[in-house]
Amino acid sequence: MLILFLPLFLIFLFIGIPVFFAMLAAPGIILWSIGQERDIAFLYRNIYNGIDSFPLMAIPFFMLAGELMNRGGITHRLVDFAQVMMGHFRGGLAHVNILSSMLFAGLSGSAVADTSALGSMLIPAMEKNGYSRRFAAAVTAASSVIGPIIPPSGIMIIYAYVMGESVAALFLGGMIPGILVGVGLMMMTAYLAKRYDFPIASKRATLPERGRAAARAFFPLLTPVIILGGILGGVFTPTEASAVAVAYALVISIFLLKAMTWRDLPGVLMRACLTSTVVLLLVGAAIAFKAIVGLSHLPEILAGWVLSLSSDPLVLLFLINLLLFVVGMFLDAGPAIIILGPILGPIFVDLGVHPVHFAIIMSVNLTVGLVTPPMGLVLFVASSISGVRVDTLAKTILPFLAVEVLVIFLITYIPALSMFIPTFFGFVQ
Amino acid sequence: MSSAGELRPIQLLGEFNTRILAFCRLVAIAGLGLMVLIILIQVFFRYVLNNALPWPDEAARFCMLWMTGLMAPSAYRWGTFVSIDMIKGAMGRHAAGVLNLFMLLLGLAVLFVALQFAEKHIRSGWLFNSGSLKLPLQLVGGESIRVKLAWMYMSLPVGFALMVLVSFELILKQVHELLDGSVSYGDPPDRIESRAD
Repeated sequence: MLILFLPLFLIFLFIGIPVFFAMLAAPGIILWSIGQERDIAFLYRNIYNGIDSFPLMAIPFFMLAGELMNRGGITHRLVDFAQVMMGHFRGGLAHVNILSSMLFAGLSGSAVADTSALGSMLIPAMEKNGYSRRFAAAVTAASSVIGPIIPPSGIMIIYAYVMGESVAALFLGGMIPGILVGVGLMMMTAYLAKRYDFPIASKRATLPERGRAAARAFFPLLTPVIILGGILGGVFTPTEASAVAVAYALVISIFLLKAMTWRDLPGVLMRACLTSTVVLLLVGAAIAFKAIVGLSHLPEILAGWVLSLSSDPLVLLFLINLLLFVVGMFLDAGPAIIILGPILGPIFVDLGVHPVHFAIIMSVNLTVGLVTPPMGLVLFVASSISGVRVDTLAKTILPFLAVEVLVIFLITYIPALSMFIPTFFGFVQ
Repeated sequence: MSSAGELRPIQLLGEFNTRILAFCRLVAIAGLGLMVLIILIQVFFRYVLNNALPWPDEAARFCMLWMTGLMAPSAYRWGTFVSIDMIKGAMGRHAAGVLNLFMLLLGLAVLFVALQFAEKHIRSGWLFNSGSLKLPLQLVGGESIRVKLAWMYMSLPVGFALMVLVSFELILKQVHELLDGSVSYGDPPDRIESRAD
């Protein structure tokens, strides 16, 4: 009987009830209707206990660090650096866009922040350089999904917390898939550049020019080194590393780059507060939801059903990728992970898929969902920045989307792509 | 700023919410700033002085809980809660309004139930002291007092109570819009854009 909360939850979700309320209302109504009011109290306490967590504090901190970097003029220096490295290739600015996204991913961990920061700067520049505006917007949106894959990553912190995994292992697991997405997009760009004769952005930079651009981008580029180096070296916990990232971003934005003043700080704090609050409430509701998922024996029932489709993990992984891709079309990555992680994770771990491997498959697949219509958040942001209609953008992005889908299947069927680095550093046995 | 045709009681409730939530946001952003500061203090003491302090972890969690509780009503009022808007977007204005009213009422019911359980939770919190947080009254000649857990437990219920006020405002606006098709309240005047992925 308790399992009826799932169809009710899906109905609530589909008709547009905010996920936070849907995750509480559906189990609450079923518990009440079967006379288990005592478990509703359990539901409430789990929301509180879910938010009252030290590791979870990394979410507001990384969001704040991302906002500070965004406001602090760091984007310009990264783009300049990418330009001297790749601007001389055919389709140079498209390559610059992708490389900038990869560099930015090491700082922010958010696809939306990446799209808005790089898009507002690179879309007009690409248009001026002879690209169509829709192509410029499509490259920006497609490359932005690298943001939450290369560490640090907001959605991986959420997954690690909700599913009890190591944040460091997931961060490391995302490195090769993130680079693969970037390289794949660059290969597609190179192909399109040759076919459609894209312009060259600038002449090949001299060594001193490259050195100067690298020096200007040195301090922003040091951020991922501090975060990952600190965590891997055992110096900081991920939460402490995120607080250090905030302090570092503040110092370079205000004192070094001088692109931000103390007056800008309340606005930056406000945006970080708002975004984190929505995520923290969702995580609290997810912990409550997860408890009801456990009580209802849903994973066991679903596992039985899934195994009746096929007992071959490879076939099941294919099917699960299809499911995640469809879910990603309608839901943002964070909420989708919060909802599906507790349901699907245990099934695939029981089938022998390593938890870190499954986390990376899920994170990458749902992140790619951010650029798929009809509900791709990054698609909407790119559309609002560029003025290109969402449906036009959705068509233009298709070649890049194909590359990203290919990468999803590569990381699904070659576990070493996500497992090698965490295993090498001893985070996975 | 009020829209044409706005009813006075709704306008008053809206103004009250705007003011009280502005104050809450100020406290919330101070909380976020404090969280960063507290964790940096801990990093300094632990790794530089090799002498970890007992209170920063709990103090930072205290700030995070209050930040979440005090920012949640603004997030709700500004429509920042994540949802799938496709169905509503495809409906006519009246049908979408009815659906929105149902959602707001369901949200209100969830908040009321949560507040009932929160009250019991807070009551239990008066029985226990925080593990490490103390009011350092010894600095002014008194004795230090351990902070009761109830002060942490209160954070989310305060947010939920303010969300109830926001719900009343949104429900009244929605009902008025349904009854009078010429009225449109639009976004609150203090809204800022922000969304997480």
